[in-house]
Amino acid sequence: MQKEERIAAAVLFILGAWSAYEAYGPIGFGSFQSPGPGFFPFWLALLLAIISGCYFIAASTKASDALWGPGAWRRPVLAGAVILAYALCFDTLGFVLSTALLFFAWLRLIEKESLKKSIGVSLVGTFGAYALFTLLLDVGLPSGFWR
Amino acid sequence: MGFEGLLQGFALALTPINLLFGLIGAVLGTAVGVLPGLGPAATISILLPLSYSLGSPLTSLIMMSGIYYGAMYGGSTTSILLNIPGEAASVVTCIDGYKMAKQGRAGPALGIAAIGSFIAGTVGIIGLTFVAPPLSAFALRFGPAEYCSLTVVGLMLAAFLSGKSILKGVLMAVLGLLLATVGLDPVSGSMRFTLGTTVLQDGVDFLTLAMGVFGIGEIFINMEEKMKNELVTDKVKHLWPTMADWVASRWAIIRGSLIGFFVGLLPGGGAVISSLLAYAVEKKVADHPEEFGEGAIQGVAGPESANNAAASASFIPMMTLGIPGNPAIAMIYAALLIQGVQPGPFLITDHPDVFWGVIASMYIGNALLLILNLPLVGMWVQMLKVPYSILAPTVVMICSIGVYTMKNNATDVVLMMLFGVLGYLLRKFHFELGPLLLAFVLGGILERSLSQALLISNGSFAVFYTKPISAALLGFALLLALAPLLVRLFGKTRSDSNLSG
Repeated sequence: MQKEERIAAAVLFILGAWSAYEAYGPIGFGSFQSPGPGFFPFWLALLLAIISGCYFIAASTKASDALWGPGAWRRPVLAGAVILAYALCFDTLGFVLSTALLFFAWLRLIEKESLKKSIGVSLVGTFGAYALFTLLLDVGLPSGFWR
Repeated sequence: MGFEGLLQGFALALTPINLLFGLIGAVLGTAVGVLPGLGPAATISILLPLSYSLGSPLTSLIMMSGIYYGAMYGGSTTSILLNIPGEAASVVTCIDGYKMAKQGRAGPALGIAAIGSFIAGTVGIIGLTFVAPPLSAFALRFGPAEYCSLTVVGLMLAAFLSGKSILKGVLMAVLGLLLATVGLDPVSGSMRFTLGTTVLQDGVDFLTLAMGVFGIGEIFINMEEKMKNELVTDKVKHLWPTMADWVASRWAIIRGSLIGFFVGLLPGGGAVISSLLAYAVEKKVADHPEEFGEGAIQGVAGPESANNAAASASFIPMMTLGIPGNPAIAMIYAALLIQGVQPGPFLITDHPDVFWGVIASMYIGNALLLILNLPLVGMWVQMLKVPYSILAPTVVMICSIGVYTMKNNATDVVLMMLFGVLGYLLRKFHFELGPLLLAFVLGGILERSLSQALLISNGSFAVFYTKPISAALLGFALLLALAPLLVRLFGKTRSDSNLSG
């Protein structure tokens, strides 16, 4: 994990350095007597950059385990793709259709459940949620292209 | 005022609507504690939108408190029957609780966990009743400098106690503070770190961040391995402990209650650390320490008592100083802020109904949990059979509904998913998310008090070390920052002297 930790530290360092530059310049540092909108973020960003630097050094000198075990990243990546697709379709396809697809994709693609079970759970889950949130609690959810 | 206030609190907490939502919170919390892979912080974040719609800050606080301490109760069931902690504070309960279940003693293990939790929870609430009012009165002396220093101490403690690496804890706290500055600056009206987009103009929403890093991030972590719910037994009998069990665990419950109460007061401390500490203490003082790990009932009673006492005690810094001690309490804090109630020293004077109503509801909720939990254990056991393959997409759906309904904006749902990825990666790198969320919540207070203190002192930092309370707090923060160095130095000197001796 040494390499990945160093990358994480570098990313945080760059974030700190960029934020410090933005806070001091474009946002406006002000002065100690009259702090500007960038005063507080500047010190935070500077601190972030310094601590990230320390983390980089610590990560370079210490051996650690691998970030993922063999193949352990596959299911989270697949889940991430399904969740992201759900988020992107939430408004356009509407709550009912996107939720039914979420359940189906989750059970069929990630959990490798049977087609019958995947369809059954998707239908029950979606219409149960629709009944609870839309019909009973009157929550305004997107209806998508059906509207 | 104290006793009178408490009586008024009981009158409010016993109204049908508050009683109902207290009960809903306690039952939901227990369910959450029972279900592996869904912690109290994630659940409170999922239910935050519902709490906003309740209208009354007292009712929503009663419900969220119920979820929080209910989860502490429920966590033990999963640990004992599945050997998987229902929530983080029940990790050590797995060791002896699961062993007891395998020996056919699941009933007494669950029974002593529930009774110990009730006793400890009550001890914690009694402490809250008596400690909170004088602490609030003391905190009224605090000015901007004291508040700034207190927030720094709170964040340092959170970073110090939350994980193995203080460096990573501080890094998360700083990142959380920086995230809180994104968006429109309320004083100058300038935009900060919005990247020129309108999405970030209102800043990062607390709910979007909390649901993302906790709710969605937790799903990614749990997805790495396929969860198998293999129950030791689905028929739990003889819940009431025997006389021998009582004798063996009575001191463990008392010690656990006290440890939990004092550790729960510390920001970043709370339920997880107190349960680990209680287990270590029980093993240390036991006549037969070799029985620990083999089904010792003290190994269940001590930690379960500690985590419940800590859950009650962790309300004290939030209600009296305005400093939330852990992510779940930070969410309750944020919910109160959104409802126009500022937790802190003025809570007892400005909103005595909320202050005393919640304390009274905790007495009631704690008793309800005991009454409900023992007879309903069969129902919780059935709930353990819900497969994670169905639970996970359900959580995704509920999180999305919660975030979407805030502004009717689907972009927030995408943002939440991205925070979920961030939460997952941070956990993979062993960063603790507690300091991140606490710092995010406290960012506004810290910036405001820092600016005010500097304006009052005309830009001089002397204001922080010439005022006694502020100086003492900063001295403590400095000690915490230097602690690893001192430990290393002290440890080295001791080992050197041992070698030369």
